[in-house]
Amino acid sequence: MGNNPEINKKIQVEVENLSKTFPGGIRAVDEVSFRVYEGEIFGFLGPNGAGKSTIMMILTTLLKPSSGKAFINGINVSANPQQVRMNIGYVSQELSVDDMLTGRENLWLQGGFYGIPAEERKARIAEVLHLVGLEERKNSKVETYSGGMKKRLDIAAGLLHRPRILFLDEPTLGLDIQTRSEIWRYISGLRQKEGMTIFLTTHYMEEADRICDRIGIIDHGRLLTVESPSNLKKEMGGDLIRFTLNSEMGDAQTERALERLRSIPAIRKIVEVDGGKGEYSALTASGEETLPLFFAALQETGSSVGRVTLKTPSLDDVFLSYTGRDLREEKVHKDQGLQERFTRRRLQS
Amino acid sequence: MLSIYLNSTYYVCWRELKRFFRQKTRIIMALFQPLLWLVLMGNMMAGLTDNPYAARLLGVDNYLLFMTPGVMVMSALFGGVFNGVSLIWDRRLGFLQKMLTSPLPRFSIPLGKLAAIVLQITLQMIIILLVARFLGVHMATGLPGALVMLVFCALFATVMGGISLALATAIKTPETLFTVVNFLTMPLIFSSNAIFPREAMPSWLQIVADYNPVSYTVLPMRSLATSGWIWPDLLLGLGVLLLANAAVFLLLFNRFEKTQLI
Ligand SMILES: Nc1ncnc2c1ncn2[C@@H]1O[C@H](COP(=O)(O)OP(=O)(O)O)[C@@H](O)[C@H]1O
Ligand SMILES: [Mg+2]
Repeated sequence: MGNNPEINKKIQVEVENLSKTFPGGIRAVDEVSFRVYEGEIFGFLGPNGAGKSTIMMILTTLLKPSSGKAFINGINVSANPQQVRMNIGYVSQELSVDDMLTGRENLWLQGGFYGIPAEERKARIAEVLHLVGLEERKNSKVETYSGGMKKRLDIAAGLLHRPRILFLDEPTLGLDIQTRSEIWRYISGLRQKEGMTIFLTTHYMEEADRICDRIGIIDHGRLLTVESPSNLKKEMGGDLIRFTLNSEMGDAQTERALERLRSIPAIRKIVEVDGGKGEYSALTASGEETLPLFFAALQETGSSVGRVTLKTPSLDDVFLSYTGRDLREEKVHKDQGLQERFTRRRLQS
Repeated sequence: MLSIYLNSTYYVCWRELKRFFRQKTRIIMALFQPLLWLVLMGNMMAGLTDNPYAARLLGVDNYLLFMTPGVMVMSALFGGVFNGVSLIWDRRLGFLQKMLTSPLPRFSIPLGKLAAIVLQITLQMIIILLVARFLGVHMATGLPGALVMLVFCALFATVMGGISLALATAIKTPETLFTVVNFLTMPLIFSSNAIFPREAMPSWLQIVADYNPVSYTVLPMRSLATSGWIWPDLLLGLGVLLLANAAVFLLLFNRFEKTQLI
């Protein structure tokens, strides 16, 4: 985007201190605040269970927040859900097209739900079918579609009533790489052609990097930062020193060593890589200059390193630095793994 | 407002019917099951009416004539009572979420589903009546009586279907709903006058049957089939069914408009 959106763009989504606690005490969303501006592609990036879908379901009137406020186009989501529904399109994480109907019938039904008059509806159906490239298969039952086609039909249904803002919850979940980039092309094209605001969630780093103007990094229900992908990477600056400490060291000594390392001015931040068995990642302006200080500091505390690598940060490392977790190594929660498999099975069937 | 409701209900119903007519096994089962009842029960029990004592209990000398209204009510019951499963599947497959994020009035979801059930059941009933006729059943009230029987079946189906949908707003798995529904329907049938005449029941079961809503649907229908236009029976049945419908629709409105459905 480059230019500062806060100056010249209308606010489409405004969220203030939003929280959601599910019965049973799971705090899925924790004091989240952010804005989405007109015409941008805004993405939530976070591991499974971070709270992405929950926020999206609050914004699309499916769930009530426990506290806090959310506005779409200035309309309060909890107070005026019916008005909000006219303004939004929602494509849920799971496929929501009806397998037993044809593609065209699915869209006809969708148009009926929105009360679009028959003549107009026909024209719009032709238009969205063209947009997602499904004209040729419009009269086949959806159960004969491929996973990518079903998802495209789902997106087409979300577009039919020309919403100002389109919510896409994990639009490429469970799709193969090729279909994934195809969906990205459609999403980017939508913004270009229709000037639509798009709010999506993903746990694919590459997806966030490639198509989003701004990314919100979310973990354990908390929004950790909102920035453009390039700024996020720039903000990281410098280099990353990834290292492990000698495994024979006790907890106390490990703590002392880390304390000492943190006191080096050139090291901006040290985070432990989750599940990395004592692997750490230190962010520094310049790796070459910091490494000697790094080793000196360890020697001083009588510690030794196991393994050290030096690298320039990617978006993965940005994510790691905010959450202390590596998205790629993210162990999928059992239920969510099942959920994902379920979705995938539907996509493939 | 009314036109929005009509429009929305129409599309929910349209989808249900499209789905119904595309599932060949469902259609076959819906038609085959009551016919099986009719033919099997009819044949099995035919000997019963040879026994003058039994014939007096049944009030007719053709068991099929006695049985046809019972089979109709049972078919309406089974047709309606699993309606909630469709809501559970819509929720699982994300279609419910799609309806809930659209401006569709939420109450039109059960209205549309019930409308579809009524149409399906009416079709089923017409076929049962035709087959019964073919097997030699002659209704005491003829064609007009048969049409009124369809109305009773429809009113009964919306009660059962409505209860099932209301349950499905709280129950999230089809298995649980099946269990609950089976738990409710079996006693409902066997403690009613659908299969056996009230007079043949032990006295405690008679008391249960007297309070069983199924009995109130069977009573007027059986009058129409075996006796004629018995207005007290018809009005009693109609009154009970209308009241039950009012209660069920109120419950549905509350569940669909006031609670979180996902
Ligand atoms: N209906 C629910 N009841 C209880 N907990 C829930 C419910 N839905 C989601 N959660 C929990 O809330 C957290 C956030 O879930 P979700 O928003 O689906 O995450 P994401 O979309 O980022 O993967 C998870 O811990 C999940 O288990
Ligand atoms: Mg999710």
